[in-house]
Amino acid sequence: MYQYNDTDQRLIVARAAQYRDQLQRHLAGALDEDAFKPLRLQNGWYIQRHAPMLRVAIPYGALAARQLRALGDVADAFDRGYAHFTTRQNVQFNWIALERSADVMDGLARVQMHGIQTSGNCIRNITTDALAGVAPDEVADPRPFCEILRQWSTLHPEFAFLPRKFKIAVSGALEDRVAAGWYDVGLHLTRDTAGNLGFRVQAGGGMGRTPIIGSVIRDFLPWQELLNYCEAILRVYNSYGRRDNLWKARIKILVRSEGERFVAAVEREFAAIRDEDGGAHRITEAEYTRVAAHFVAPAERQHAAGDASAEAGLDAAAQRAFALWAGRNVRAHRDPQLRVVTLSLKRAGQAPGDVTSAQMRAAADLADRFSAGELRVSHQQNLLLPWVRAAELPQLWRQARAAGFATPNIGLLTDIIACPGGDFCGLANARSIPVAAGVLARYGDIAELLDIGDIDLNISGCINSCGHHHSGHIGVLGVDKDGAEWYQITLGGADGSARAQPAGPGKIIGPSFAADEVVDAIEAIVDVYLERRAEGERFIESVRRLGVAPFAAAANAVRHQTAEVTS
Amino acid sequence: MKFLIEHQADAPQEGRLLDNAADVLALDGQLRGAALILLQFPKWTDGRAYTQAALLRRRLRFRGEIRAVGDVRVDMAPLLARTGFDSAVLRDGQDPQAAESALRFFGPAGAADTYYQGDAVQTHPLFARSAA
Repeated sequence: MYQYNDTDQRLIVARAAQYRDQLQRHLAGALDEDAFKPLRLQNGWYIQRHAPMLRVAIPYGALAARQLRALGDVADAFDRGYAHFTTRQNVQFNWIALERSADVMDGLARVQMHGIQTSGNCIRNITTDALAGVAPDEVADPRPFCEILRQWSTLHPEFAFLPRKFKIAVSGALEDRVAAGWYDVGLHLTRDTAGNLGFRVQAGGGMGRTPIIGSVIRDFLPWQELLNYCEAILRVYNSYGRRDNLWKARIKILVRSEGERFVAAVEREFAAIRDEDGGAHRITEAEYTRVAAHFVAPAERQHAAGDASAEAGLDAAAQRAFALWAGRNVRAHRDPQLRVVTLSLKRAGQAPGDVTSAQMRAAADLADRFSAGELRVSHQQNLLLPWVRAAELPQLWRQARAAGFATPNIGLLTDIIACPGGDFCGLANARSIPVAAGVLARYGDIAELLDIGDIDLNISGCINSCGHHHSGHIGVLGVDKDGAEWYQITLGGADGSARAQPAGPGKIIGPSFAADEVVDAIEAIVDVYLERRAEGERFIESVRRLGVAPFAAAANAVRHQTAEVTS
Repeated sequence: MKFLIEHQADAPQEGRLLDNAADVLALDGQLRGAALILLQFPKWTDGRAYTQAALLRRRLRFRGEIRAVGDVRVDMAPLLARTGFDSAVLRDGQDPQAAESALRFFGPAGAADTYYQGDAVQTHPLFARSAA
């Protein structure tokens, strides 16, 4: 993992001091809410339904066990003992009093954490593959480039007040596990025909009211030019992105309306940065090497010898349960002696992505014991242990099960992606958590879930799409009609990962469903799949083969409140 | 960086006032000899003038004064200083001393080890500074 040096540390300490000054001026009445809001947002502080919400960055999803413990301490000391991992490799707290917010930032800075640029119209937390640096299908490790981008984008003076938020994802693997097509900029590490490393650059993707998959604006960008090229994209966007309409301000609208002219403008600006300005941000070999040195595999995990009879000591029933878990929650590693283990944060009784402080400490202990003290946060809102010895899987499984992390449902229907929704969020039109809870309660039988197989169920409480409903194989969107909660269902969306190519938004299957119809509708849709699937066909493949009509018909049949709307 | 309050400021006609949608690169010839260019913040959260200032300094190597006008607030000070502004006319009710102190949290503009990325004052990023 990246280790802060004095400069890194000084910078976040200074930022915390700056924030404290701004907060104090606000509390003293010298900085009104209009003036304070953009400042607090750029430090991660929203004002939400009940209290401020704090979003803390977990840069490119890499989290140290000691940082997770510190997050648990924040939950206990300032919040109500829990936190929520998001779809963008951030973590959120919901109950911290604004008056204490500067104290929280000081505490986070002590463990090299912060909320810098986790909100606001600026370059947000850089995200990547939760399997970065350990995936067998990796072209190159994206983490050094993520860190270089993190540094470049942190407190960038020219791009702090863009037309709208700006999100960058970096993929280093053959499979796109970062939903790059859905990002303002999606970067894919690749090699040209001569074997040189660089990026394929996608731009103009996004969710919200206008779901769009980003266009490839450059097939190959030498890695040395990454920052210069991003500067060109951001400068064109800052100059020409729309500022007259909040809903048309994302770069996706500019890319869509200008098309080739946008690409030409970026290329022209890039050439000028390189040739006229001297390309000051060209990444040097020395800088790449310096940063990459932070991401070597932990020595203690290498040459992992041990008892290969992984299931030794388990009785027959335990062996079956272990095998189920290993089948869903354990993934291959580039080192054949090691495995990547997902700790499921999707279980009955807790909202998707939620963790209590006790669970945070338990996960930190598992990371220390089995994964060199490192965890990853996935965009599916689970925690991963990236450095687990294959021989230690049974021990890890027992301990993960005792801590409530071993639900063997990764990639299955109950591995739900969901935003906090109307229970917490001031923007939401409807609650997400009760829908997720309804699905978790109805599908408690793991054999049934395994029979249904791979499926992405994504739930957003409003069109801001924090629950990525557009990319759900089944997407659920909360809408408000006359003050009541309603849910629009989409089918056939995809994030771009291997199990659902290509990325794209789902199709709406009809008028919205009432709150007490939506789980029945999901079940009816799943039942159509179980009846009509071809041999070996996944849910998303059936939807694509059959079209949405038979699924929509089954979902419509469960309506009772909304029956008159559709009959 | 110099902070002015509204009534102290030179009258705008002394400088060349640019709309924040103007393409400074297209205006290069007209701006070259100007002593003072005024860049506007119609709302303080509209950040186009930061790019205009950065391009004037870096690309066009403009040596005259660049001044921020409009909805200019003290917390903008570090961004203004780093994108190449020399002065700012603060809007009503803003305290120039608060703007001065806003500059100090991260050390002086142009200091060698303060910020990661290059800007209009310190053109090279941190990683390239020792070589620069």
